[in-house]
Amino acid sequence: MVYTLIMSIFYVLMPVSIVLAFLWAPPAEILGETSRILYFHVPVAWVAVLAFVISGISSLLYLWDRNNRFFILELKAYHAARMGLVFCVITVITGSMWAKASWGSYWNWDPRQSSIMVLFLIYVAYFSLYSAMRENSRRDVLASAYLVFAMVTVPFLVFVIPRIYPSLHPDPIINAQRKINMDPAMQLTLIFSMISFTLFFLYLYTLQLRAAILQRRIEERHHEKL
Amino acid sequence: MVQTILSSIRKDFRVEFRGRYAINVSVAFAFITTLSISFATGGTAIRPAIQAIFLWVILFFSAMNSLSHVFTREEEESTALFLRLHSSAETVFLSKLLYNMAVFMFLEMLIVPLCVFFLSITVIQPVQFTITMLAGGIAITSATTIIAAIVSQSGGRGSLFTILSFPVTLPVLWVTIDATTRSITSGLIFSWNSVLFLGAFSMALLIVSYLLFPVIWDEG
Repeated sequence: MVYTLIMSIFYVLMPVSIVLAFLWAPPAEILGETSRILYFHVPVAWVAVLAFVISGISSLLYLWDRNNRFFILELKAYHAARMGLVFCVITVITGSMWAKASWGSYWNWDPRQSSIMVLFLIYVAYFSLYSAMRENSRRDVLASAYLVFAMVTVPFLVFVIPRIYPSLHPDPIINAQRKINMDPAMQLTLIFSMISFTLFFLYLYTLQLRAAILQRRIEERHHEKL
Repeated sequence: MVQTILSSIRKDFRVEFRGRYAINVSVAFAFITTLSISFATGGTAIRPAIQAIFLWVILFFSAMNSLSHVFTREEEESTALFLRLHSSAETVFLSKLLYNMAVFMFLEMLIVPLCVFFLSITVIQPVQFTITMLAGGIAITSATTIIAAIVSQSGGRGSLFTILSFPVTLPVLWVTIDATTRSITSGLIFSWNSVLFLGAFSMALLIVSYLLFPVIWDEG
């Protein structure tokens, strides 16, 4: 039911967001047409952080829930981290494309570029840990503990470090006044895009979880037959 | 609790300095890398920013072996079960954390003069430099102690510890290298925000590590 609802809204909102981003929203002053990548880059970065937070919270609940009252929390944490990593890569790619157009090179060691790369490495390390413990009966506990620990670093990398060091990132969204100095049409398009990408993430995430549950059931049946 | 923590730290130091395996490897690594860099640069003047990078990279990789050893040794020598029966998880965590901090400070006391001597580092602001070294050391040990516990339980060894630790300590290295550069460069203003960041980061990681450790340590 929830899955169908998410899917339906996503199928309506995503095309609307694309149309708004390319045809309705005006190009930003100075930055020009390249500013349209904002409607894809910012939402995917937001979704990456959201996915990492979901993986951390699921892990926290998994470690806390000794009586297994919640269902498949370890799978939820694992798949959220996986999705977060994918969106993190997309964030780096879209950011680099924009950096090339605006700053002249794909990589500039801007604090935001660097912090998203560090975040990426932290979650790559999680998958190294996960795969290193294939035969370990405590894999879910240890991997969940690492995800909770990793989640604590997220606010420092996303919010603190980019504010300590001077950034090349455009001012309208990220500024000291904590105000969005943006054209109303651009603001609305960005909000639409953020909602669409969040739904896109939830759609893929629930799809992955359904597949993972099915796989687990098949494996259980297989073990029962043996 | 304090007595148990102190006796546990004393035990760790006794065991370590009886064999001196981890400390020997760390000190030898620090000597070899510092001398190699000094030899390779061959008296060429190195910019303060590069000196700060060398200093922290040598410190980080020298410490990696010692920091993970504190938990892997308990598993390798099959003393972890005794430790579980004898002390609470919180006590074990605090004793291992303090031991790691002491080891890191010990390595800093050896490596910093070595780098100052061989890499010709001139400390312009000694107070800021010392505070950065202390804050950086505390932040690195705060981030790596829980990872050492996870790695020892996972059955993984040294390389896995470095793979897991490096990304988590990257923000610390980033900030400490910048702060160290400012303290060894004439004309640059030292930013206390860096020390504040290191303090906040250490505090956040310490709290979450303290809360997570019983789950990692006590076998379900």
